[in-house]
Amino acid sequence: MDTSTTYDALVIGSGIGGMEAAIKLGDMGHSVLVVEKEPSIGGKMILLSKVFPTLDCASCISTPKMAATAHHPNVTVLTQSVVESVRGDAERGFQVTVRRSARYVDESLCTGCRLCEAACTVAVPDQFNGEMVSRRAAYIPFPQAIPQKALVERPGTSPCTFGCPAGIKAHGYVSLVRSGKYEEAFGLVAETTPLVGTLGRACYAPCETECTRGSLEGPVAIRRLKRFIADTHYALPEPPRTEAPAPNGKRVAVVGSGPAGLTAAWQLARQGYGVRIFEAAPAPGGAPRLSIPAYRLPAEVVERDVANVTDLGVEIVTGKRVDDLEELRRQGFDTVLVATGTPRPARLRVPGEEELGGVRAALDFLRDIRLGQPPDLSGKVVAVIGGGNVAIDTARSARRLGAAAVHMVCLERRGGMPAYAWEVGEALDEGVELHDGWGIAGFRGGAAVEAVELKRCTAVFDEKGRFAPTYDETTRDDLRCDLALVAIGMGADTAAFPLLSSAGARGLQADPITLQTALPWVFAAGDAVTGPKTIAEAVGHGRRAAHMIDRWLRDLPLAGFDAPLPVVDKAEVLARQRSHSLREPLDGTLRLVASPTDFAELEPALTESEARQATGRCLDCGVCSECHQCLAACPADAIDLGMRPQQLEVEVSAVVVSTGYRLFPADLKPQYGWGRFKNVITGTQMERLLAPTRPYNTVLRPGDGRVPERVAYVMCTGSRDQTVGNPLCSKFCCMYSLKQNQLIMGALPLADVTVHYIDIRAAGKGYDEFFEQARAMGTSFVKGRVAGIRETADGNLILRYEDIDGGGVIAEAEYDLVVLAVGVQPNPEAAHPFADGALTLDEHGYVAEVDEDLNPGATSIPGVFVAGAASGARDIPESILHSGAAVAQAAAQLERRRVPV
Amino acid sequence: MSRDLREVIREEPLVRGRLVELLFDAGPLTVPELAERSGFPEDEVMVWTMGLRKYGYVAEEKGVSDDGHYRYAAVKRP
Repeated sequence: MDTSTTYDALVIGSGIGGMEAAIKLGDMGHSVLVVEKEPSIGGKMILLSKVFPTLDCASCISTPKMAATAHHPNVTVLTQSVVESVRGDAERGFQVTVRRSARYVDESLCTGCRLCEAACTVAVPDQFNGEMVSRRAAYIPFPQAIPQKALVERPGTSPCTFGCPAGIKAHGYVSLVRSGKYEEAFGLVAETTPLVGTLGRACYAPCETECTRGSLEGPVAIRRLKRFIADTHYALPEPPRTEAPAPNGKRVAVVGSGPAGLTAAWQLARQGYGVRIFEAAPAPGGAPRLSIPAYRLPAEVVERDVANVTDLGVEIVTGKRVDDLEELRRQGFDTVLVATGTPRPARLRVPGEEELGGVRAALDFLRDIRLGQPPDLSGKVVAVIGGGNVAIDTARSARRLGAAAVHMVCLERRGGMPAYAWEVGEALDEGVELHDGWGIAGFRGGAAVEAVELKRCTAVFDEKGRFAPTYDETTRDDLRCDLALVAIGMGADTAAFPLLSSAGARGLQADPITLQTALPWVFAAGDAVTGPKTIAEAVGHGRRAAHMIDRWLRDLPLAGFDAPLPVVDKAEVLARQRSHSLREPLDGTLRLVASPTDFAELEPALTESEARQATGRCLDCGVCSECHQCLAACPADAIDLGMRPQQLEVEVSAVVVSTGYRLFPADLKPQYGWGRFKNVITGTQMERLLAPTRPYNTVLRPGDGRVPERVAYVMCTGSRDQTVGNPLCSKFCCMYSLKQNQLIMGALPLADVTVHYIDIRAAGKGYDEFFEQARAMGTSFVKGRVAGIRETADGNLILRYEDIDGGGVIAEAEYDLVVLAVGVQPNPEAAHPFADGALTLDEHGYVAEVDEDLNPGATSIPGVFVAGAASGARDIPESILHSGAAVAQAAAQLERRRVPV
Repeated sequence: MSRDLREVIREEPLVRGRLVELLFDAGPLTVPELAERSGFPEDEVMVWTMGLRKYGYVAEEKGVSDDGHYRYAAVKRP
């Protein structure tokens, strides 16, 4: 692409007027920059069927013009670009700011094969086919588009994906499941982490919290879909394995096999690093394996996830506590990642805690259960101290081990507990008794604990929001118990790595961006650094660590981790549709019993049917789901989702505004039913039905695919109509309708076509003869306005109209298909780039010409000219002619600049 | 269109398998016939069928039925 920043002329818009201006100025030897907001040049003309009155193929005329524009040696074209501002004047020249949207496809590599489009999993209305058929988020606009290159529609990141701290493309796997591509969905999640099954069960699903559908009936069941993906994959007789790449010769030691360590190991091994994990516990998996109860996360699911890592060649050494990092270096590891989590339980530091038997850390209790050594709690009374997730897991586990009663004691009132409200509710449903708003004064007993001494908690946090509980020491109570399980927090094992933390620190210290520690060859990640966080957050940290380690080992700057597009505006997502039909979310209610007796998994798996239906609720907020199928399909590696919008600054000597017109929105005439009645379409939609690249196989009714036999045209829809604020005639609606009449009768010889009109305006060379030709072919003409349209049960339309030639009677007629000959409106974007009010508009909103008769094309700004329908309704020949006038004006301006008068 | 067009089109990947399977089993079918067998509204089936046609999953047969409809058949894909 031309990289100049100075051009003789800027042409805004590349419809027929803009292309004509660019080609002519280029032919004169002037350098021209064409800025087009759409992904293809060609404007509206390229989407027409034929042109009047010659009935020549519109594509056949447009395409050479498009090619001439795109390939002209003096013309540079920027598509998907908008002129944001034009400053300066005719004497000094104009400074122009252009914002170019990202295409997400490298145009120099794309061959236009459309394999990305075929692979794309997101369907949206095709705006280049009158929204009568679908296109994909990855697409080529239309067969004659120039450039004939794909693009990906990505207005932003979907909230679910943006909200995932792990960096999982949540929208992507939802859309893959919707398409029945379950294995691809597993692969997409596995691009991020091997813990697909674990997260499918035990993630707290911030994606669902962010889901736009949540503001309607409830969020999409995104987490359960991930579980479905994992279950489906693992149920395969021989699940496909990720192929291990050739070793790159570098070795990495990972200390800790929790979510952060496993994810980092997975990411590094997939890049060819030799990875060995050292795990102090007898089983790998970290907290998901050792702390989360089986009723939420069966051990075999974690083990299957861990096997993803070992299948890739990663060694896991269990029962090996590492406290000498230098020793790892001596063993030949090039770098070390410490991801040891938070295995140290916090202590209450109250009387009796250390001295009495039966006061235990909840983490140890949960770990014993997970390692197959559950205590027998039959008939015992258990007190669980704490109000977080671990406390809930502990209490519910105690219930399953036969405890006669389980009491949860926490500082907070129920509404302020750290545990999720639904977790608290489930615990209570299983018979756990909650004592909220109490602190622990101490434990009492003989050799073993017999009671917990409570004191009323009056506040948990101070005025600055810091944890600083205060108590009413006079309000006390006792809670009898046989076992007290303390779950008030946990911390990192800092003692093992004195060089990685400072005195008194609660976690290991690492740079928050690079995760590099004070020892440059040692990185630290996960809960060991951040304190207790969610599994997804630890996964995200593990990915970041792997990214930084890879860069460090390749002597690259430690930067460049995830940089997603900004999140889409949920209000804008909802506003894309005029209505949202009710789609009830899946019933997530668990069948809980008051006295659970085993650790069987509570949440049922989704059936395939349920999973597919759940995906049908997704709103495709970011349009592109980032499912990465286009990346896999593109044989040229042209897809680049890392592209970002660009801002360009250029200088020009003249500007030609050729922004065309807008079509009247037919739904502003509700009495005609467009958008509500299935078989009422606009003239523009009929153009597409008649075009060689049409959306259907011929002219068919959108409502049921039937070939229409009776077709009506309603002329002047939105033009010559004060009720919609447009008194102007749109000039070419009569002629395009007459053209369509003839084409319909050619395509459907049995069709009757009736035109309801005010008067036929056919002023132009051969135009009146064209009208007579339509009449001779059989088009019927009924003079008079159409008052309204109503729909019958079979989708036919009954027009109520005035028949002036028939005596002025009000009559009704039934049709199969009604075409609204919509008029045109000024394009309000024409004036946007210029300072407020600088580009004068006429009373209707078109760009005003200084003297339309004697000085056509000149605007209120010297050096800025208008071409084509931006200054008023013009058909194609008139637009080209008017563009010629603007070109002459612009050429004169360029001469004046070159040779000052 | 009783439902928003964008919502209908969004579901094309969701219903594709079912419609194509019906056309393989009982096709070629007209849009109303396909709508009746699938239980979906005719206008929605029309949108989906044209999308499937565009992307090569179905193709029309020559000629129209007595009631003025084309019949669509599933296309065998590699």
